[in-house]
Amino acid sequence: MSASTMSAPAPAAGRATFVHCLHAEWIKIRTMRSTLAVVLGTVAFGIGLAALGGTAAGDEYPNLSAADRASFDPLAISLRGYLLAQVSLGLLGALVVTSEYGARTIVGTLTAVPRRTRVLAAKAVTLIAVALPVALLICLGGFLVGQSALADAGAPHVALSDPGSLRAVLGGALYLTLAALFGLATGTVIRSTTATVTTLFGVMLIVRGFAPALPGALGDWTVKYWPPIAGGQIVTGYRDPDLLAPWPGLSMMAVCVAVLLIAAFAAFRRRDA
Amino acid sequence: MIEVRGLTKRYGEVLAVDDLTFAVRPGEVTGFLGPNGAGKSTTLRMVLGLDAPTSGTATVGGRPYADHPAPLRAVGALLDAGAVLPGRTARHHLLALAASNGIPRRRVAEVLAEVGLDGVARRRTGTFSLGMRQRLGIAAALLGDPPVLVFDEPLNGLDPEGIVWIRGLMRRMAAEGRAVLMSSHLMSEIELTADHLIVIGRGRLVADTAMRAFIDARSGREVLVRSPQAAALRRMLSAAVQVREDGADGLVVTGLDTAEIGALASAGGVELHELTARQVSLEQAFMDLTRDVVEYHTEHAPDGAKETVR
Repeated sequence: MSASTMSAPAPAAGRATFVHCLHAEWIKIRTMRSTLAVVLGTVAFGIGLAALGGTAAGDEYPNLSAADRASFDPLAISLRGYLLAQVSLGLLGALVVTSEYGARTIVGTLTAVPRRTRVLAAKAVTLIAVALPVALLICLGGFLVGQSALADAGAPHVALSDPGSLRAVLGGALYLTLAALFGLATGTVIRSTTATVTTLFGVMLIVRGFAPALPGALGDWTVKYWPPIAGGQIVTGYRDPDLLAPWPGLSMMAVCVAVLLIAAFAAFRRRDA
Repeated sequence: MIEVRGLTKRYGEVLAVDDLTFAVRPGEVTGFLGPNGAGKSTTLRMVLGLDAPTSGTATVGGRPYADHPAPLRAVGALLDAGAVLPGRTARHHLLALAASNGIPRRRVAEVLAEVGLDGVARRRTGTFSLGMRQRLGIAAALLGDPPVLVFDEPLNGLDPEGIVWIRGLMRRMAAEGRAVLMSSHLMSEIELTADHLIVIGRGRLVADTAMRAFIDARSGREVLVRSPQAAALRRMLSAAVQVREDGADGLVVTGLDTAEIGALASAGGVELHELTARQVSLEQAFMDLTRDVVEYHTEHAPDGAKETVR
């Protein structure tokens, strides 16, 4: 018989705090099997793509026209892995909350911590604690591997100390962390893992593919301001005057994520579990 | 102690819970009964702050659930035993819950031992049987050593040994002075376990009474008598007494109790083989009470069984 059954049934002292909730969310994200899969897969893909992309682009460089050489962007080539990493980290962000709706553990979570703002804030903080280091690893690793591949192929390449390099690596990591939060916010509103993943693909990749095909002003506007496209400018070295500059572009993405997070908090607080 | 006052939940046109008022007292096991769709789970979800009431209030220990500084220390609840992430181990599932309320890690090992899952603490819950998940859910409810326990269908998926174990656990928790609220479809189990009954139907309170009184009130006053001299005995009963035959040697008597019939038989020299006050089961009493309020039920038409949904 345990000690519990011996003691008097009166509520014990002690107040549950945000730090307690943070600890609980940390245990949860750590023991969710998809976390490890997403992290390892994203890092491997991001760095692998930088190696392959660097080699391929380097091999093509001698055959490029003068115009193409002028817009040759060693930074963007080495950081192209962010295209998929934004979706996979977005998926991780979504899973932090949609896995709870899928397995219905949200009932236990909100019974243990009825303060919903606290729950979602703790989820966001633990997500950042996982996503930001992973994003830094992908961007820095991709940069180093990609530039070394370009150098081996004899194509133009940049060093971390060159102008723009650190901005692209750190800014790229921030962009990917924002993508994870985008997934969290979307997942909180949608609640279903599948529907959220479909949304992430649509917003982050499909719009990017279709934007140039949209008619006239709409196409121009989308290419310039659509948050994931604008935010992606942070990893580029070549400046296209028709697009937003790196930091304004990233700010566009940040504002979009902030608005979605506000909506997610409001929905999470208001709706029945 | 759980207090529910004027609790109402409306989903569009449907009144799932309709002006419900009741209290669950400490030191007792209270059975929470109602046909499917009566609003039991919705009521429990509102008590636990998961769903917002359309109107009315629910308090636990005198305050709304969400106002407790560490809710798991105030109320332990099992609402949905299937609600576990299959890839997570039983231990991690409980560790996260414990951490959220600042409950020490050693409680996790204690409750796992208490429900008999200590041997599988490090196994993923996806490999658990439904019965094991019920035990894990009960372990989660016990984590904070709370004075109030709420169990929604805790017997689902349990084997006979598990059912006996739950019965003992509930009785013990009530004996320690805790308030225990338990819903179940297994009437025989509620009859054995609960002291008090709250019955709802179509979202409304149908009965709030002690178990004994609930059954007695619906048991009528029938007495079954078996005697090889049934015909002789029947002639001795006054005209004011209702009698109907039950087989060749049996009489079902309404209007006299067992002592009166025994005395009559003794005075008349009639030999008795059986003299029983007929008690209905909780199941029978429940069915009689809720016949009119069930939302979904099966009607047997002459041409075969036909499911009708009203």
